[in-house]
Amino acid sequence: MSDDRRDMDDRNILAGEHALGILAGDELRRARDLDASDAGFRADVERWIGRFATFFDDVAAVEPPQDLWSRIAAVASPIRVSDNVVALRRKVSLWRGSALGMTGIAAALALFLLFRPPAPIPVQPAPAEPMVAVLGDAQEAKVVASWDPDRRQLVMAISGKLSGDQAHSHELWVIPSGGKPVSLGTLSGADQSHVRLADALAQLLQQGATIAITVEPRGGSPTGGPTGPVVASGQLKPA
Amino acid sequence: MTITMNRDMNDGPPSDELRALMRATSDGDMQAFETLYGRTSGKLYGICLRLLGNEAEAQDVLQDTYVRVWQKSASFDGDKASPITWLAIVARNKAIDRLRQRVPVSEDVNAADDIADGGLSAIEVIENRQDSERLAGCLEELEERTRDLIRAAFLDGATYPELAERQGVPLGTMKSWIRRGLQRLRGCLER
Repeated sequence: MSDDRRDMDDRNILAGEHALGILAGDELRRARDLDASDAGFRADVERWIGRFATFFDDVAAVEPPQDLWSRIAAVASPIRVSDNVVALRRKVSLWRGSALGMTGIAAALALFLLFRPPAPIPVQPAPAEPMVAVLGDAQEAKVVASWDPDRRQLVMAISGKLSGDQAHSHELWVIPSGGKPVSLGTLSGADQSHVRLADALAQLLQQGATIAITVEPRGGSPTGGPTGPVVASGQLKPA
Repeated sequence: MTITMNRDMNDGPPSDELRALMRATSDGDMQAFETLYGRTSGKLYGICLRLLGNEAEAQDVLQDTYVRVWQKSASFDGDKASPITWLAIVARNKAIDRLRQRVPVSEDVNAADDIADGGLSAIEVIENRQDSERLAGCLEELEERTRDLIRAAFLDGATYPELAERQGVPLGTMKSWIRRGLQRLRGCLER
């Protein structure tokens, strides 16, 4: 066998190992580099995965719990409210335990953002850089809000429990520097939520704006402005 | 290489129906998505449970999987794989990502970080009908031990260091067993 041939052979086996997911350390790094840079290697990986997929035949189906579909539907279904000014596609993903060092994975509950027709919003240049706000007021909870302007996505990561009770909702606000609070909807207890914002709202997420959570009557503030106590707030800063 | 694929998983719903459901789902048809979920979630939940070993995480990952399917079903290529295999691979990759975040096992410290951001995030898969038909026979030609180890790596998410520890053999020995097994498997499939 020539060296070239042997090298090809080794790479194909490495592709098989990568498809199995068995690699660690330097070998994993090498496989991932090749996977990203070499279409031939990637095709080998895909073919190996196709072969191993036969093993799935050995796995018995198990009925998932009844409520799981409603959780998925709540996250997946697109929502359009109020004259297309606010279009929100909710994306709740799982809390990834390592991000904030949280232990235990709560059942991911759907995040409900109930939108009302927003107040007229001054147009400002769209923010270009990712930002983060640490909402540090809460006694028992830590909240990190991360804003990704490219995807117009606000990720709320909540560890611990926000103070409040069943009769009340937590409402999320952005308060532009020198401006009035604008509601981003109510939270229903998910540990992490990915919220995609319409342009009009996205433009409010500028450096120096405040992200706040208040306790409001169930379903959200009846007035359109905050009426209850602030349980957490923090300023947006460049990430 | 010509790639064709129509294999259905045992006892699963027919591919044609799933293909139609995948197409409708990628067009944003929520009802089709619900039917797709009804037809496939049992299998995928079984895969997640097997990999993760507990219901809470398996349910989280299953939810993540279907949200991803909702977002990415347009990228499903029916010429490359059957719908159920594609779905199963999405679920497996999500479950493995979760597994790697949970258990920092590695030869060196950095490896856990590497895996944590999605060691197998690609969801492409190529099934070859001939391979699939032959695979069972080719697996039979392997030593039982090697066959079980390869299956464990794929279905349980075990890595080399874990398998070596489980079997009480040096890491190098484990690698050479598996590599020899993969070489034989490939040799058999290419015959």
